[in-house]
Amino acid sequence: MQKIPKLLQVVLIVVGVYFGFVLLFDFILGQVIPSSLLNMYMFFIVAGVLAVYTATEDGTRELVAPIKSLVEDPSKKKTRNIVFAVTPVAVALFVYLQLVPSLEAPLELRSIHPAPPSTVKIYGKRFDLRTLVNPYRKLEEEDPEEFRAMVEAGASIYIQNCHFCHGDKLDGQGPYAAGLNPVPLNFQDVGTIAQLQESFLFWRIATGGPGLPDEAAPWISSMPVWQEFLTEEEIWQVILYLYDYTGRRPRSWEE
Amino acid sequence: MRLVSKWLRIVGLGCLLMGAPSGYAADGSPENGEEIYLKRCVGCHGVDGDGLGPGAERLLPPPRDFTSGMFKIMSTAFDGYIPQDQDIFKMIKLGMPGTAMPGWQDILSEQEMWDLVAYIKVFPGYDEEEPGAAVEYVEQVPSSEDSIAKGKELFLEDDRCSECHGEDGKGNAIKRLLGDNGERTWPRNLTKPWTFRHSNNPKDIFTRISVGIPGTQMPSFADPASKKVLTPEERWHVANYVQSLAKTSEAVNPENTVIKAARVDQAIPDDPYDEIWTDALPSTFFMVPQIIAENRHFTPSNDTITVRSIYTPTEIGILLEWDDRTFSQPGDEDSEKIGDSPLYEDKVAVQLPVTIPTGMEKPYFVMGDRDNAVNLWRWRGGTTSEPEAVSQISATGVGTGVELDAEGLMGRGVYKSGTWRVLFKRSLITESEDELQFREGVFIPIAFFAWDGSNGESGTKHILSTWYWLVLESSSSSVPFLGSLLALILVLGLEFLWVRSSSLQEENH
Repeated sequence: MQKIPKLLQVVLIVVGVYFGFVLLFDFILGQVIPSSLLNMYMFFIVAGVLAVYTATEDGTRELVAPIKSLVEDPSKKKTRNIVFAVTPVAVALFVYLQLVPSLEAPLELRSIHPAPPSTVKIYGKRFDLRTLVNPYRKLEEEDPEEFRAMVEAGASIYIQNCHFCHGDKLDGQGPYAAGLNPVPLNFQDVGTIAQLQESFLFWRIATGGPGLPDEAAPWISSMPVWQEFLTEEEIWQVILYLYDYTGRRPRSWEE
Repeated sequence: MRLVSKWLRIVGLGCLLMGAPSGYAADGSPENGEEIYLKRCVGCHGVDGDGLGPGAERLLPPPRDFTSGMFKIMSTAFDGYIPQDQDIFKMIKLGMPGTAMPGWQDILSEQEMWDLVAYIKVFPGYDEEEPGAAVEYVEQVPSSEDSIAKGKELFLEDDRCSECHGEDGKGNAIKRLLGDNGERTWPRNLTKPWTFRHSNNPKDIFTRISVGIPGTQMPSFADPASKKVLTPEERWHVANYVQSLAKTSEAVNPENTVIKAARVDQAIPDDPYDEIWTDALPSTFFMVPQIIAENRHFTPSNDTITVRSIYTPTEIGILLEWDDRTFSQPGDEDSEKIGDSPLYEDKVAVQLPVTIPTGMEKPYFVMGDRDNAVNLWRWRGGTTSEPEAVSQISATGVGTGVELDAEGLMGRGVYKSGTWRVLFKRSLITESEDELQFREGVFIPIAFFAWDGSNGESGTKHILSTWYWLVLESSSSSVPFLGSLLALILVLGLEFLWVRSSSLQEENH
């Protein structure tokens, strides 16, 4: 660090962090970082780095020394002329690119697991989602045979209605998944049904996309309103199947 | 005694080592296979392997009936009927694109998939029989312009392949084709390689041409009894030609969600095939069947639509192009013969919001919602007694459509060689409050609906897309240029002042 001029250190840190973000999001996480978010992060990085390097007067002097000498030292006249010629052109180019209208699709951020309402009207009845439990869950211990039958009924309902989007393997990659945006939920993922209570699933299945609150962009969700196609019993059965097939456990109040 | 058992152990180990890398059902355990089968496969293929699982009813192609002993995609030469173990393995591992069968390699181990192969072979009794000889590939002819040209000639010669696949390979049928269970089958659209049951790698195509597809009308072209027989070399040419048919410029690019309409100076001609469209940028999107509203559709015949758009200072043109194997014109004898009964008209629609959203909120993507109305521009192909026509529909939800005056809307369709092209034209600005008013440079949500009248598609039975974007590219403005010029002068001025002040300081010293 001693040998590298302070100015170069600042530049290296900022550039390094920038590409670090790109590497982390675009390649490791496989999710392209939106430019607006990256710009915001970089603003704080640059401000932070400058604050650290200009904390002492000596530091500030050391930081700007190369720039000062570029202007004041007659032996560096040639370098200065080059830098002074390139800078305005670069700035002009940047301004031009900023002003040219962008045709990048607008960014749409939506909440994937929005907070459920406390009560909801389904099948013309009012359900309290805070206390609602799967009426068949208790069979798992009380009557394993009957429970198996319930899971199997759920499997049939799933394959007749849900696999088209959520996939035969419950991985969100059904035959029509590629044509949908947002993409169907992947139930195998630890971040989905394993994090949710069965009452949440009941609400999401019964009221579908149009039943979502605005922060979850109900207008683009392709999830049908299943209370129009399935009975209450069938929805609870399919929920049993989702957990059984993936080997996940629903979240419950005790936890 | 001890010596013998030691010897046996060595031989056993040797067999295991020899058997393992090549992979045979013999390495699989049907008992383990059954356990996996009962968990993963019965939903479609049924407990008895007869393809009558609860999911079967809504699937086309239907799930394979293993008890029939017929396997569609195999590499056993045309005179055999038992697939190679590898064929079954590959179907399980990679799945069958274009069907509901997924690839299982991400959740099943190699061993588990071999166990399944062993179990599936029990249904038709193939566990006790040997498969026939595999297809001989002789010597692969690498793809070249020359080979592709030869392949094309053979493809068209005596209507060898074009009889079912169409002159341009789009599978535009002139015959009504049925599978072994009486189900409707469609000749492959060879320009859409992502729908091939196996890849569009020439070797896989060579295999299909040589073996045919058992249980369908796709014959073997290696069978010397066939009038259309081809030598292995000729089959490689055809395979290379078929691979070359892939329409890569019109494949779906998931990154592209924006249709960019360029501004043109001349008026937009009425002909959907006018040259003006050759420069327009195509955007292709996936379409899925409507399974959200009552009267759902589970057996679509098409999966994509290609959209282009241009505009002038006064009007906009939106050109829709999609492959449709059947020209559906009620009353027309040929149409009636090929299409499912009852036959409907082919239709297509563009869906737009009535007002361009300012925030994130858009109308519900299927026909809008109570708070956000949509505009549908719908074109229908007409019958033998009625000409093609357009209508304009305003809707605030499924089943709420109201016909508006469609006077200002033009729609014209042309069906050519398995492809529909429909051009819509409307003025950018209208006087109606129920119609979208176009503006340059803003993102306008746009979605698409299409109906294949020969596939029972009418009303809510259709395919549709989710919302995409349409942008009328702003006409060249001088703002970016002037802005950057100003920045250039400003920076130069600052530099000048800086140098001047530092040299003045020096002089003062």
